[in-house]
Amino acid sequence: MSARPLLPQGAELAAPPSRRKVVGSLLVALCLTLLPWADELRWLLPDLTLMVLLYWCIHAPRLAGLGLAFGLGLVTDVSHGLLLGLDALAYCAAAFVVLSLQKRLEGFDAPRQTLQLAPLLLGKEALVLTLGLAFGRGDADWRYLISGLVAVALWLPMAILMDRLTGRPAPVESPALD
Amino acid sequence: MPHTPQAHLFVREMGLPARFVLYVLVCLFLLGLDARYTALAWLRGGLNSALHPLQQVLSTPWEWSQEVAGFFVTHGALKLENARLREERTLMRIAQNDRATLWAENNNLRMLLDLPTRPDSTTRVAEIIQTVPSPFSRKVVINRGQTHGLGVGWPVVDAGGLVGQVTRGYPFSSEVTLLTDRDQGAPVQNLRNGLRLIVSGTGSDRLLEVRFLDMHADIKVGDLLYTSGIDGVYPAGIPVAQVVKTEPPHNTPFARAYCRPLGGVGRYRHVAILTPLAPPPPTPTAKP
Repeated sequence: MSARPLLPQGAELAAPPSRRKVVGSLLVALCLTLLPWADELRWLLPDLTLMVLLYWCIHAPRLAGLGLAFGLGLVTDVSHGLLLGLDALAYCAAAFVVLSLQKRLEGFDAPRQTLQLAPLLLGKEALVLTLGLAFGRGDADWRYLISGLVAVALWLPMAILMDRLTGRPAPVESPALD
Repeated sequence: MPHTPQAHLFVREMGLPARFVLYVLVCLFLLGLDARYTALAWLRGGLNSALHPLQQVLSTPWEWSQEVAGFFVTHGALKLENARLREERTLMRIAQNDRATLWAENNNLRMLLDLPTRPDSTTRVAEIIQTVPSPFSRKVVINRGQTHGLGVGWPVVDAGGLVGQVTRGYPFSSEVTLLTDRDQGAPVQNLRNGLRLIVSGTGSDRLLEVRFLDMHADIKVGDLLYTSGIDGVYPAGIPVAQVVKTEPPHNTPFARAYCRPLGGVGRYRHVAILTPLAPPPPTPTAKP
């Protein structure tokens, strides 16, 4: 592993991620999830909160960590009215995986990140369904796995949009990365 | 350690795996506590009260955009009146449904039997502000709660028939479990022959079922099922379902019937909440 420079460089120097950006974007994502969506489309609704959380776990691991994932999970759980701790656990697991792979993920551009994050976004839906079954919440509706696929499809536009909105320039190919 | 402007000079904290394990343990503890006991009701209630204003605002984005777009006063007035009339129509159709036909007939029969008349139950209208996006349950959140005098267990109906039951009360909103939820059931009576049955949800939006039906039970496709009122929760005579398919017993000693809900479960925006009946008085013991 090559040593990283002591001072922020490139994209991070141009527009450092601030607490305000993180909280604001997460709040917007949470509000979008809380909108009264049509009943027939519920199972297509991707978990936008998780996607934005993972984006910040990759680009600002100091600001978005396990504690934030846990708190957001609890809020999601309360808004779902299901078991308390179900989504919190799934969010923590997803954040843990991303934080441990953070250095690798940060080096990739958004399309390659999509491939790396696809199993994670799908696995989160599977984990929620499995845990719900394990804690005796009747039949699971497996159509909800499709929302994971929608999340994968939306990662690229979401990442590009977030880059634009937060003023992060596109990552420059650096000779040190090989 | 990633280099960000917020990075600490001296790093003394638990490693990532250790913190992850701690959080997982906390989550599993919460899950177990919530699944087996009702100890977390206060935490849920508190967080829900904090979320409620947000939900309230988010439930009306369409109306907001309309109001911003059109600044004609007449439009706004008409829209308000339309909403009021719609609410009124729902109320009247419900009233018509379970009163106009059955009320007169029932009154006659009751007088004939010299029974006390049923106390008139009051109706409140509520709006659905959120559908719960969960694969395990069929629930909606309505904008009336404990401060409006609602209680847990109250029946929820709409113009077509029974919709569900209030299962969780918050200060400003309530959670309604729909009839189609897998754990929800309602005691009904076959209108054709008075056979008493229990209808339960299947987890599908358009299907209910009668489980554990007697092999020789007299139930046919097209039969209408109304609440029987013997549970002390749902008043008698609310339309619930129509039988669409009966299934002879396979491998089990019980037959099964599938029905279509008559109420607009998961379709309308407004619902009405009825006050539940007082539980029936205990049967007087026969005098020797």
